[in-house]
Amino acid sequence: MSLDLVDVYKSYPMNVGRKHVLRGVTGSFRKGERVGILGRNGTGKSTLVRILGGIEAPTQGTIRRSMSVSWPIGMAAGFQSALSGADNSRFIARIYGKKATETVEFVESFAELGEYLNMPVGTYSSGMRSRLGLAISLAVEFDCFLVDEALAVGDTKFGRAFAARLQRAGLILVTHQPSLVRQLCTRAAVLDQGTLTFYEDIDEALATYNSL
Amino acid sequence: MRVIGALIIREMHTRFGRQKFGYLWLFFEPLLLGVMIAVIHNLRGTESIRSNFEFFAIGYILFFKFRGIVNRASSTISSNRGLLYHRQVTLPDLFYARHIIESIACTGVMAVFTIAGVAMGGEFPDSVVKMLSAMMLMFLFAQGLALVVGAATSEWEGLERLVHAMSYLMLPFSGLFFMVEWLPAWMQEVVLWVPTVHIFELLRDGQFGDMYRPIYDLSYVFGWILVSHLIGLTGLRLARNRLGLE
Repeated sequence: MSLDLVDVYKSYPMNVGRKHVLRGVTGSFRKGERVGILGRNGTGKSTLVRILGGIEAPTQGTIRRSMSVSWPIGMAAGFQSALSGADNSRFIARIYGKKATETVEFVESFAELGEYLNMPVGTYSSGMRSRLGLAISLAVEFDCFLVDEALAVGDTKFGRAFAARLQRAGLILVTHQPSLVRQLCTRAAVLDQGTLTFYEDIDEALATYNSL
Repeated sequence: MRVIGALIIREMHTRFGRQKFGYLWLFFEPLLLGVMIAVIHNLRGTESIRSNFEFFAIGYILFFKFRGIVNRASSTISSNRGLLYHRQVTLPDLFYARHIIESIACTGVMAVFTIAGVAMGGEFPDSVVKMLSAMMLMFLFAQGLALVVGAATSEWEGLERLVHAMSYLMLPFSGLFFMVEWLPAWMQEVVLWVPTVHIFELLRDGQFGDMYRPIYDLSYVFGWILVSHLIGLTGLRLARNRLGLE
């Protein structure tokens, strides 16, 4: 069970010509692996995340998905801001085939949102949004969590509970923060100039990233 | 189906808020408009209020449904963009969910109107099946157009205004205000090019039976439904690949 990318290209139309963001990305993410992907700003991290999450199609190349992969969990993603956190939890639970009430109970006990659970998501701070997203994704129980940047949960009760849960799950973390990769991942890759290079040794990956 | 069910519940929440009263509005809006148009026609016409009510108010619901589905199409993608972060959610699902809500509401209102008509001393509809078939055909025809409009407006936003204007301008030609047999022969030929005219004739056939001589060709309507769905679904597939998410 894995998520595989084979020679993936992605380009977007510009006013003149096209912008080539990914130029032949190949990689394999096995079930239970915790992989960090490091990239500087503007190297196409978000594009890669959307392609990994299956919400954008590559211009060329193939993606094979034989394990369940979460939606890209990050700051903005996947919520209807006029609806409450509980309503959003119910909606996401329903589309992934989970019981709505159980999911809301889990989110209530895990995300530490208190009264805000029944307030519109539009009123949330960015930390609250990312806790909500992470909590819902934990309730759905994916084989692999796809996390885009915002893992600023730190050494809080939530942060420790989340890290403990991740020990038992797969993770693809796309970020520009080397410290997060060292803390959470067992393997790392660097995204640069539209291609992805994997390193079995995290220190080597970090050294390459720091020299960019 | 799971996704469409979840979308329907979500759409109801965002559209009517979480207050229970909000759902009533869905019924109240066509009800109010339908009664108004019947009253206006009664003040001007010589026929009794009952037949006016049956002809125009019930007919108006069918048009109301058409307009509701097609006019909402241009905002469907933009107002649900955040949901596309979940790859289960496809663009056509967003449309189907909205159309189903609209159709259930309008069918409910039509049932209430029909029962009210009977209570006011009218005759029971000649064929409820034909009336429901007309609702179903209007649902499918409007859905096909909505898919096309949704795909087109995601590429060219300016089209939205044109679509709104067109949906109002269509009112006199929609088949709501006349039976085809009332028109001179040359005009009959012209209006029978409009697919909704056939659907209205079918509705009146179900409502009034032998009272009028309805003229319709359902295979023509099915042709429109098929072609519009093909174009619309293809267009949405193209639109999905071009759609950037924040």
